Amino acid sequence: MIAEIFVIMYAIVVMGFVAWNIRKGAFVIDPSKLVPILIFILLVFVLFLRYTGLNLGVAVATLMKIGAAGILFAGTIPMISAAVGLFRFGDEFSPNIFYVRNHITGVIDTVASLVMIFAGLLIYRLDLVAVGFFFFVLIPFCGNALANAYYYNYQRRLGK
Amino acid sequence: MIDLALFADTAFFWGAFVFMVACSIAGIGAIRLALKGEAVTSLMGVSALTTVAGVSLYLIQIIFDVEFARDTAIALLVLGAVGTIVFARLFRMEGGQ
Repeated sequence: MIAEIFVIMYAIVVMGFVAWNIRKGAFVIDPSKLVPILIFILLVFVLFLRYTGLNLGVAVATLMKIGAAGILFAGTIPMISAAVGLFRFGDEFSPNIFYVRNHITGVIDTVASLVMIFAGLLIYRLDLVAVGFFFFVLIPFCGNALANAYYYNYQRRLGK
Repeated sequence: MIDLALFADTAFFWGAFVFMVACSIAGIGAIRLALKGEAVTSLMGVSALTTVAGVSLYLIQIIFDVEFARDTAIALLVLGAVGTIVFARLFRMEGGQ
């Protein structure tokens, strides 16, 4: 029960930070500073756990798993935002709305693939990383092919 | 003092679970997109649906150790993306040529 309470606190902190970034429309802390800070905190925790007598490999794996959980919590907010965006436009089907929806589905794909890559790296699942990376490479081609198909269909309809 | 390994397992389980719920909400939006609108819009909705279904299945394999879910997830993710590109190329051509 104590662990669940700490998990809720951890989720609120991570999701709140991501929501703050989205609300601001820019990075609250620049990634070039945030990533070294997180790595430094990880090293301090590893040294602390090593000092308390825990095996080094177990300490690193445990902290990596907590980081992977943080990435999963962080991916939740953009995914829900994209879902709200998909519901937002109702029954409008004009060209501009198509391109907006294409962007929103691109956000869904990107969040899904980035979560797969980074969570897979942190829990030592290289199959997850490989599939996520392959999918990440294919996302721009998908979006471009869909927009291209819509554009030429629309031009054809205008020509008739 | 809290057991750190227990906290890591619980946090990962609930993180994956909450992310799967978020994927399901996005999947409902994608189904709605796939059932309304014209052909290319439907293709876009189906593409987003295969993505969220694939990621959810992969997470199910990780947290519940269901082995067949991984194969289904890989097939969905790879064939979904490749199929979207192929069908978009078909829709682009006039009269299916």
